[in-house]
Amino acid sequence: MQQISYKKNKIAWMDVTVKQILRIFAYLSGSFIFIITGVILVKGLIPFVTNNNGIGRVPLVPFLTGDTWLIGDTFASNLYSVGFIIVQTIYVVFLSLFISFPVGVLTALFIAKIAPKKLAEGLRTVVEMLASIPSIIYGLFGAGVILKLVYDFSATLGYQSKGGSSVLSSVIILALMTIPTITTVSEVAIRSVDPQLTQASLALGASPTQTHFKVVLSAAKSGIFTSAILGVGRALGEATAISLVAGGRRAGLSFHLLDTTSTLTTTMLEGMKESAGIDYDIRFSVGIVLMIVILLTNFILNTIKKKVGHVHVK
Amino acid sequence: MSNKRKFKDLFLQLITYGSAFFSLIILSLIIGYVMSRGFKLLNMDLITNNYKAINYIAEVDEAEDLCNCPADQDYPEGVFYSEKWGVALSDEVNLLGKIEVTVYDVHEDSPLRDMVNKGISEEPLSLGVNFAIVRIAYPDRPSSLSRYGSMQMILELNEATSIRELEFTTSGGGIRGSIITTFYLIGLTLVMALPIGIGSAMYLNEYAKNNGFTRFIRSMIETLTGVPSIIYGLMGLAIFVPIIVSLTDATGANLISGAMTLTVILLPVIIRTTEESLKVVPDDYRFASLALGASKTQTTFKVVLPNAIPGILTATLLAIGRIIGESAALVFAVGTVIKDEVSLTGQSTSLAVHIWSMMSDEPANIDLSTTIALIILVIVLSLNVIIKFLTRSYMKRYGVNQ
Repeated sequence: MQQISYKKNKIAWMDVTVKQILRIFAYLSGSFIFIITGVILVKGLIPFVTNNNGIGRVPLVPFLTGDTWLIGDTFASNLYSVGFIIVQTIYVVFLSLFISFPVGVLTALFIAKIAPKKLAEGLRTVVEMLASIPSIIYGLFGAGVILKLVYDFSATLGYQSKGGSSVLSSVIILALMTIPTITTVSEVAIRSVDPQLTQASLALGASPTQTHFKVVLSAAKSGIFTSAILGVGRALGEATAISLVAGGRRAGLSFHLLDTTSTLTTTMLEGMKESAGIDYDIRFSVGIVLMIVILLTNFILNTIKKKVGHVHVK
Repeated sequence: MSNKRKFKDLFLQLITYGSAFFSLIILSLIIGYVMSRGFKLLNMDLITNNYKAINYIAEVDEAEDLCNCPADQDYPEGVFYSEKWGVALSDEVNLLGKIEVTVYDVHEDSPLRDMVNKGISEEPLSLGVNFAIVRIAYPDRPSSLSRYGSMQMILELNEATSIRELEFTTSGGGIRGSIITTFYLIGLTLVMALPIGIGSAMYLNEYAKNNGFTRFIRSMIETLTGVPSIIYGLMGLAIFVPIIVSLTDATGANLISGAMTLTVILLPVIIRTTEESLKVVPDDYRFASLALGASKTQTTFKVVLPNAIPGILTATLLAIGRIIGESAALVFAVGTVIKDEVSLTGQSTSLAVHIWSMMSDEPANIDLSTTIALIILVIVLSLNVIIKFLTRSYMKRYGVNQ
């Protein structure tokens, strides 16, 4: 009897220990999001509250509204402004959405509703493969192919672009990268549209094309909108690929398609050689701005999504 | 149907078809580009060579006699052999695409196998196969330069009786260091990420009560997937790098901090995939095991977990694919210095960061970059196929339809 209860105790003890260890793992995984936000907030506020080794505090309002980014020891200034970079980022991302959104949604429509089963399966594989290609390879493709095309294009217009590094190249690369995201998510939404809706539309005499565009797409509106939100999220956070084609604009807001540009992420990737000082710390401040921009965009788009209305989707 | 209607339908159909094949076109363009440019440099030398070519200026040891050894093999056309010095040279295109006078073979008794470094260190030097010869200077005659080609160099070598100095470059342009770094990163990251990820998934699926707090933890883990990788990089730079610097002899970004950063990136993927595979293990198994008197721990580890192995394998492969392709986070957490001697506490580059590092340099080395991209692409796409196959067979096993 004694033996059994001892064994029982041991098992119970073991069970509890294992459970606690696993619980620690789970809580650790759940806490990382707070660690990330906390650390970046703390580090990112340093340039605004300290003297930055004699350069002086970075003033907050010019930081958010100005249009000059004077990085480097040569200037030794506290003139860091992400205002124009924020605008440029949003401009590039939404322009890329103008390409990727229609293409992505129509591809999804084709795969889900129009294509024969085998073709649909093949195209789905193609989209999955595109989604799994690492972003650096998109960047390489951009630097090797798109830059040359854009350069030649700008040369025919008589415009001197910086080797093709421009808003246009960035937009194309971002569009290529977000198409798979948009297609995958929209396809699920389109596939889950109630077939009765389609049948009803066809029975009323609408052509298949009319049905696809007027009934299926509007019934899947909510899911399609979600795909756009995810696409924008991916585009905003993309860094290495776009840093190879953006050109690194340091001052002056420009909406010209063939001018160089800068996004929040490419700005963070610049000046990787610093390991201390303001050029090091300021990257965390840009990180805060990036997170806020992503959260705000998500929030605004989600609000619009609710306003646009929610058709019942099975 | 009216004509106008028909036109409109046709137009809409056309743009739908066009868009659908746009993806196909992009994929084939990218693969085609990487293949056509990358194949040129792809060979074993690339994988085994160092990235940095080192330049040496050497002096031939006075004590050594001339070789005067006849060729011990038949050399192909374009290779020139000097009996006097026992060395065979040819003109080759190097990994960077330039033509160089390259050592094809060195005879066993050649004096060039035994030279003295004229630089600071006094280490003995030996001419090896595939080294490029830059310049040979003689005491009494004008130097032979590599730009006149290998034939001219051999002719001049045959006339000379002694060599004052010989400048040569070891073969470079390889990616050995980056391959090793990538393997280290995969190994270290999996060692950390798999236990934490699988453990979390087991806790959430097997132990945790379905209450608000569990849902909160789960949604916090889900939120991690939306964080851009550059933000993870910043976190790694701010937390993991200082931790490792204080614990080891590292001075800045290093491999271990990179692996820790990757661990955080991979956690949500591993947790979600593992949890999904735990979910499809039928409850009957758990009840049967518990009814037979097994403890909760035994049930979880000996019954549930083995049945979820294919799912965990999928998670591992997904993780490997992500590690190989990750660049933005690693730029911050491991650094961008291309190294040949990889150490756990030093900076180095994974294959993807190697590409970024070369492409953001002036001038960009597109040829070598596309070759690395080709390697990455082949690995990532085949992992993708394997994952698809695994998932399908796994789903079939439990009769779950996707």
